Amino acid sequence: MLNMNRSMLIKIFGFTGLAALFIAAPPIVSNIYWISVLILTQIYILMAASMRTILLIGHISLGHIGFMLLGAYGSALLVMKAGFPFCMALIVAGFLSGLVGLALGYPFLRVRGIYFAILTLLTSESFRLVAFNWRGMTGGAMGLMGIPSPDAISIPGLGVIDFSTTEGYYYLTLVVICLSLMVLYRLERSRLGFKWRAIREAEKLAQAVGVNVMWYKLVCFAVACFFAGIAGALFAHFQRGLSADASSIFSVLTSIYLLVYIVVGGENKFAGPIIGAFVLSMTSEFARPLEEFQPMMIGGLAIVVVMLMPGGILGFLGQIRFWWSKVLKQETRQGIKG
Amino acid sequence: MNLSGQMIWQGLVNGLALGWIYVLMALGLTLIFGIMNIMQFAHGEIYMMGAYVVYYLTASFGFPLLPATATSMVIMALFGVILDRFLFRRLKGQVIGPIVVSLGLTLILMSSAVVFFGLYERSIPMLAQGSVNIFGSIVPKDRILAVAVAVLLTFCLHLFLKKSKYGQAMVATAQSPEGAILQGISPTKMSALAWAIGCALAAAAGALGGSLFMLGPSMGLLPLIKGLVIIVVGGMGSLPGAVLGGMILGLIDGLVPIIFGPALAALLPLLIVILVLVIRPQGLFGVEHE
Repeated sequence: MLNMNRSMLIKIFGFTGLAALFIAAPPIVSNIYWISVLILTQIYILMAASMRTILLIGHISLGHIGFMLLGAYGSALLVMKAGFPFCMALIVAGFLSGLVGLALGYPFLRVRGIYFAILTLLTSESFRLVAFNWRGMTGGAMGLMGIPSPDAISIPGLGVIDFSTTEGYYYLTLVVICLSLMVLYRLERSRLGFKWRAIREAEKLAQAVGVNVMWYKLVCFAVACFFAGIAGALFAHFQRGLSADASSIFSVLTSIYLLVYIVVGGENKFAGPIIGAFVLSMTSEFARPLEEFQPMMIGGLAIVVVMLMPGGILGFLGQIRFWWSKVLKQETRQGIKG
Repeated sequence: MNLSGQMIWQGLVNGLALGWIYVLMALGLTLIFGIMNIMQFAHGEIYMMGAYVVYYLTASFGFPLLPATATSMVIMALFGVILDRFLFRRLKGQVIGPIVVSLGLTLILMSSAVVFFGLYERSIPMLAQGSVNIFGSIVPKDRILAVAVAVLLTFCLHLFLKKSKYGQAMVATAQSPEGAILQGISPTKMSALAWAIGCALAAAAGALGGSLFMLGPSMGLLPLIKGLVIIVVGGMGSLPGAVLGGMILGLIDGLVPIIFGPALAALLPLLIVILVLVIRPQGLFGVEHE
């Protein structure tokens, strides 16, 4: 009981501390470059967390970035060509990605696990090439430029928040991403999440007790794609310009990075991808002088974690706590004896 | 767009050559998957390294192209055996581990290529100069030679799997790992063999691709994706399926951009895969498991 309370306390303190840190970050760093880095890190956090949601049903998506691309271009085009307000475009972009995920999930989720990874990889690369080559709609190789930033809003008590500044946009991203993470967390802890994990552990058994396996898998994939679309919309209006060439964020490499974030953080815990994305984004930001050695470092880290530290950072921390409690127990026992 | 018969013919020939390169990639991938149950996402980097080995052998040591390709195949086969021994054999049976390790390997090998070989593109000497006249149309000789080499390698693999003792042992391991062990077939030997053959095929594909097109550190991504798609379309572990899938994808790459434009060419493989999965989830020539 005491132990449980203690771990709850650690969690609560950890989350409030982290939240306070993120809220206080812009005045502390007070440097547009670093605030931009933090915005991108938040977007990566949402991407990694939603990608991990697919892992709950035991599938690995290597094309999550493709759905982010859908959301990014969808939202940008809705605002630019159809005159939608930003908040509407954000939601519609999410639903667009989710619906495409639902439609593609039906053929993709029928086949063996490894096929799903291949097919999502193909999907994201196809989306990228279409965006790269469809000159009339997406600007083709020139890219899509001049995406407007969201309109300023005034909140009673806080004054007017102007989202065209980096600080303003930072807080917008923070709010949207925290809400999304909360929804993902609640979903994982709900009966829906329970069914997802049941499907991963024993698909045949879940089917036998009356879980509509295909439907719940589809819902899981669509939810993950929805949040990828949201992340994409946030990205589009932050960057104000999109391009889909081979070296852009929408390449397959980003999907690989996301998977590495999840695994390094620890894929078994909800906080895993969040911590992995944060730690690795910061590490690679500080390792920027290394330039071309940077991907090498990330790849090497991924291999080391898989071979030596299964469970990632969080798994390792849990291991340390386990050893520590064993040491403590021995000491009490010796204390009792002595 | 002005479409001439010559352009379509050119696209057809290019598509066939590309298709056979993709087939070599797919065969290696499916061989490794069949034995180890591991999908080798770093296969594109093996392709790239194979091409660079050929480049350095021809440019620095003055090897002729075909011996250089053979040497590159041997070197890459050894590299594959090393990868198997020190990384992938330990991950057998895991789900997410091998995927992450092979993707991490992709990052490492790709950035090493940037560091050691540089970002700018290079080219291997052409397989053959000139062209021949078939049915009144001009076909470049190097495309014919590339297809011939790829067909020869595929045929050799077919013979090896069907006729030789080790090939039959590999087929047995793929069909039933436990049954093969009971017959005295060593699973570690088989996995080393699968990696060696798979990586040698990728190196050959890289040499062919590098001599037809250009060399660059990120050249491996496209053939990797095509090889993976071929496996899904043709069915895992099926040689005729791989050949048919390779021809379909190669012809799409060769013909569709000329006729319908690049956007549709990018989307068409995805549509074909979805169509195949809806009709036959196990692939065109695949066998249903479980």
